[in-house]
Amino acid sequence: MAEPRDLMQRYCDGDAGAFRELYALVAPRLLGYLVKMTRDRALADDLLQQTFLKVHRARAAYVRGADPVPWIYSIAHRTFIDETRRHRRAVVRVGEAEELPEVPAGLTGESDDRRDEVRGDPELVTAALDALAELPAQQREAVVLTKLDGKSVAEAAEIAGTTVGAMKVRAHRGYEALRRLLGKPPARPAARAGGGS
Amino acid sequence: MSALEPGLEPGLDDLARQPPPKPPALSPALEAELAQLTPVATRRPLRQLALLIAISLIYGAGLVVMLTVRRDLHELPMGWLVSTGLAWLLGFVVPITLATVPRAGSVMARWRLAGIASVVAAVAMVGLGLVLHPAGEHSVSIGWDGVVRGYGCLAHGLETAIVPVVVGTIFLRRALPVGSRWIAAGLGAGGGSLGGLVLHLHCPVADGVHVGLVHGGVIAIAALLAAALMPRAIELR
Repeated sequence: MAEPRDLMQRYCDGDAGAFRELYALVAPRLLGYLVKMTRDRALADDLLQQTFLKVHRARAAYVRGADPVPWIYSIAHRTFIDETRRHRRAVVRVGEAEELPEVPAGLTGESDDRRDEVRGDPELVTAALDALAELPAQQREAVVLTKLDGKSVAEAAEIAGTTVGAMKVRAHRGYEALRRLLGKPPARPAARAGGGS
Repeated sequence: MSALEPGLEPGLDDLARQPPPKPPALSPALEAELAQLTPVATRRPLRQLALLIAISLIYGAGLVVMLTVRRDLHELPMGWLVSTGLAWLLGFVVPITLATVPRAGSVMARWRLAGIASVVAAVAMVGLGLVLHPAGEHSVSIGWDGVVRGYGCLAHGLETAIVPVVVGTIFLRRALPVGSRWIAAGLGAGGGSLGGLVLHLHCPVADGVHVGLVHGGVIAIAALLAAALMPRAIELR
């Protein structure tokens, strides 16, 4: 399979097929990151499309020979942050009206036909996602990138636009908070039951 | 660094092992864009840097000629003139380079280092001005008045900084998803340092407080102004 940088270069040269290949290569990982960040598959899908639209519009800013993946992740990060800010403003407006009920964000709101098949114990995965959703966005992102998506601390810092030191602290604090959250009953017995693998 | 540590919590371990979800088909908006895809000229950081330096230096030299060269120039120690001039030049080139040229293999500019370089340049040039400020027979000494009435020098310094900041911003427009404020600060500090170089060759005031706080202060003020005003133009939104 072609390297992302080769695909990006061909795409910048006007090859639409290369963009589709790049999308096929990068979009699944990026969508995984966005789903973990938002806990909302429909929103993650939307952010993914927005991210690639931004990549398309900013393709002249690409530097030939460079790996486009961290850059695309950074654009996704930025898109997520902007969406969160918009969402916060929207929540304030709803709160002022005092008429509409609170709608919990997350996977619980998605339709079942959109749900991807879960490997392993679905209860454990849901518990982990629940715990992840309780973390502040910065800690969640640090945990997702460094512990779940396999990025190095330096890569994660570059994506999130922070320093390596700050990323280490966020990942550590986030992971410690997750351990505490997953250690709470009744999540603990469920975690132990499926944790033998 | 490995993704999973041996002691990763059960549940998180399962979560990390989930296969990536299947992405949706491209949106109609993206399909429409792809239907009329044209080749684009991608960013060439080194070429942009060379252009940025050349344009800024030509503009700075023009300003020195327009403002006139300081009248005590031939009375000052050549070693100080040259070494301090080189320090100003370094304060211009280093932050600008870090702000525009990414490390090899990366798309994103080195915003952290650009930010650090801005702070170092500002502190170093203020310190250098306060400590080293030789005077000649035709130099001017006005003490603290040189700080109070330093707005002329400040204005000339900021005028000089405008060109590197604007040209750099044009080169980087809509290019950076993160770190745009630090990149803008880097461009501002570089521009401010070029302003300091212009003042070094133009202003005959030889008081340490004026050279340090006003000439050196141009770097800090230009960096702060650029960091406040330019990020929206640089940011990829």
